[in-house]
Amino acid sequence: MSVISKSVPVNTKATTQCSTDMFTRIVKFSPRFLLALLILPVLGGLISVLLPAFGYAPVLEQTTFSLQGFNALWQTPGLTQMVTLSVATGLISTLLAFIITLMILAAFFNSPWLNRIQRLLSPILVIPHAAAAIAVGFLIAPSGMISRLASPWLSGWELAPNGMFPHDSFGISIILGLTLKELPFLLLMALGVLAQPELGKKLRQQHKVALNLGYCPMTAFFKVILPSLYPLLRLPLLAVLAYASASVEMPLILGPNTPPTLAVAIMHWFNDVDLNLRIKASAGALLQLAVTGGLLALWLGGEKAVKVLFSDSLTNGVREYGGFYWQKITVVLTTLVISFILLSLIGLVMWSVAGFWRFPDAMPEQFTLLHFKSALMQMGSPLFNTLAIGLVTTLFAIILTLLCLESEPLSDKPISRFTSLIIYLPLLVPSIAFLFGLVWIQQLVNNQAAFFNVVLTHLLFVLPYVFLSLASSYRRLDPRFAHVAASLGAAPCKVFFKIKLPQLFAPILIAAALGLAISFGQYLPTLLAGGGRIATITTEAVTLANGASRRTSAVYAIMQMALPLIGFILAWVLPKYFFKSAQR
Amino acid sequence: MQSSLEIKNCELYRQHEQLLSLNEQVKGGDILTIMGPSGSGKSSLLNWLTGTLPSGFSANGEVWLNGENINNLPTHLRHIGVLYQDALLFSHLSVSGNIAFAMPKGNKKHRLDKIDHALEQVGLKGMANRHPDNLSGGQQARVALLRMLLSEPKAILLDEPFSKLDTQLRVDTRELVFSQIREHKLPAIMVTHDHSDAEAANGKLITLNLAK
Repeated sequence: MSVISKSVPVNTKATTQCSTDMFTRIVKFSPRFLLALLILPVLGGLISVLLPAFGYAPVLEQTTFSLQGFNALWQTPGLTQMVTLSVATGLISTLLAFIITLMILAAFFNSPWLNRIQRLLSPILVIPHAAAAIAVGFLIAPSGMISRLASPWLSGWELAPNGMFPHDSFGISIILGLTLKELPFLLLMALGVLAQPELGKKLRQQHKVALNLGYCPMTAFFKVILPSLYPLLRLPLLAVLAYASASVEMPLILGPNTPPTLAVAIMHWFNDVDLNLRIKASAGALLQLAVTGGLLALWLGGEKAVKVLFSDSLTNGVREYGGFYWQKITVVLTTLVISFILLSLIGLVMWSVAGFWRFPDAMPEQFTLLHFKSALMQMGSPLFNTLAIGLVTTLFAIILTLLCLESEPLSDKPISRFTSLIIYLPLLVPSIAFLFGLVWIQQLVNNQAAFFNVVLTHLLFVLPYVFLSLASSYRRLDPRFAHVAASLGAAPCKVFFKIKLPQLFAPILIAAALGLAISFGQYLPTLLAGGGRIATITTEAVTLANGASRRTSAVYAIMQMALPLIGFILAWVLPKYFFKSAQR
Repeated sequence: MQSSLEIKNCELYRQHEQLLSLNEQVKGGDILTIMGPSGSGKSSLLNWLTGTLPSGFSANGEVWLNGENINNLPTHLRHIGVLYQDALLFSHLSVSGNIAFAMPKGNKKHRLDKIDHALEQVGLKGMANRHPDNLSGGQQARVALLRMLLSEPKAILLDEPFSKLDTQLRVDTRELVFSQIREHKLPAIMVTHDHSDAEAANGKLITLNLAK
């Protein structure tokens, strides 16, 4: 019997070789392009903030170096309070989110509840910070859901009281908002690490060994799992800390006004009609950089201290630290967090459809779609901008990420450590510190292309997440499939398009949904790079959150949540229909 | 001209530590069997032959296929087919899609006929549109064999290709693979742990030792 019938050998060598070279050349060049794309804007932005901070601003006809910016900054009333507020809200919210994450992991490790909590919390990840802030603000406001549910039977309030939330001067509202938003992120990052096939399996087995040696489950987690888990959580933690200490949306919506956090104050100075305030703002941006840098250093130092302090107790043989009570406390805390989130979402939805809603009532008296109708009527252009910017940015980010990842097997070495660190640069440098400088550069280079500028700026924040999300799936591909395809005569570009891309279809969609969600949620980059001329759902929502009617604000916040959610649902559903069934 | 695969003065290193040195010629239809403990460099030798030697390994020497030095050719231009212990069928393609992927370009109808004919030959008639994940292990192994053969390779490498099949299936599949190799007079190199594979190959046997 013969399986091969003789056929004339096809000589495609010349043509394939040529196209191979083109594809391979592009692929091998891509990591350098990625580096330039990330380093130039961030460094350029920082330098363009540095120069004005020391008084050099040709635009303002200031060409001598001086310290007047810093002098003006030091004389700002309430500067100490601003810095304290930034430091306190950033550090406390990150610590809280981290501690609760660890408690949840420790208490529910190897329990089916961990998956349930993950499923409940993962949708929170796609909610933009602005929308989360609006929802939390509604919840804790004097006439919010909490005070409604407690009135009048507990509080005795018949009318909405004069509460201090949100906008309290201690920043408690900001801390609450940031903690609730960052907790799901950290938890999912940790679960992502534990989901890595080999490492996860090893850690679960080690946990079992500790249990067999008589350790209580929570102790086993802290003594056996955490030391291996923490190094992999460090980068997300630092990103959260950097973000929390310098973010603008949350403090703008939930924070006090007199004085606000440093980042918010800087933003106001930059946007002031008095252009001379820009010198002070640049000096402020440098101070913000120092504050965030100091916090990151403090965190790393604290990490070392904890390691030294607890290194002995790892092996002291104590198997039980009141695990029973901690377990109970964690259950209560988790329930609180989840009900807080659920209540604020329910409140948000109810406000968006509420007609008349008297104070202590838990439900509105009438429901109406009027707010949705009128908001949707005005939403056309912001909605279009949001989608167009998100799609262009994400498409570009995905293509670039895939090319960079493909360069690993093609050039036979992984992307350098330097490159993989630089990818996370935009997440670690406070955006308020380099965005203004970047905008100055963009205005110098091309004043008109607002859309292009916004896309380029969004890319800085979308790329790291897309890369993070795609890299693990890409590197987990069995390389033998590519070898088989190559040994069957497929050129590198055919292997890439016909074998790897279809195998990566689902992860690519997830990365795309994530990229879209990040782009949809950007406030400061959109506002600045667009020069205020490009309105998106997020910029509108933040503007409306301070001032406009609660009902309109609720509709915008819901739209902010709905868009990324649709993306993730599509990413989840589409692979069930494509590339799953056999095709000829 | 008789086809042949020639390994000239091959020396394989892992981090500067020599794993093996080899000088062999395999004639068309012959099967060279290589045995040895894990870590002795068997699989790395196959990777070197296909041009996919992982970083951390290095090698000297030349590979000649049918009188042509293929050392500097990229994998996809070497025309060396490989069978692994896993079938490694592409699960986004059907059975016939997998085979068509491997075949040279050509008339669509002609290609499909060829696939159907080949499937029938190995007892997989009517399976063309099945999803590879729904096939049994033995069926998957046969599809992988067809996929490799229809790419019209000039030499074949077998990387413990039967080790995941149970005894009877192993004998049958082995017989099928070997008979195809002999029929098409292709030079083949097999890496295996199993002495019965080596006996069935009925060719030269090289046993590697663990590097010191």
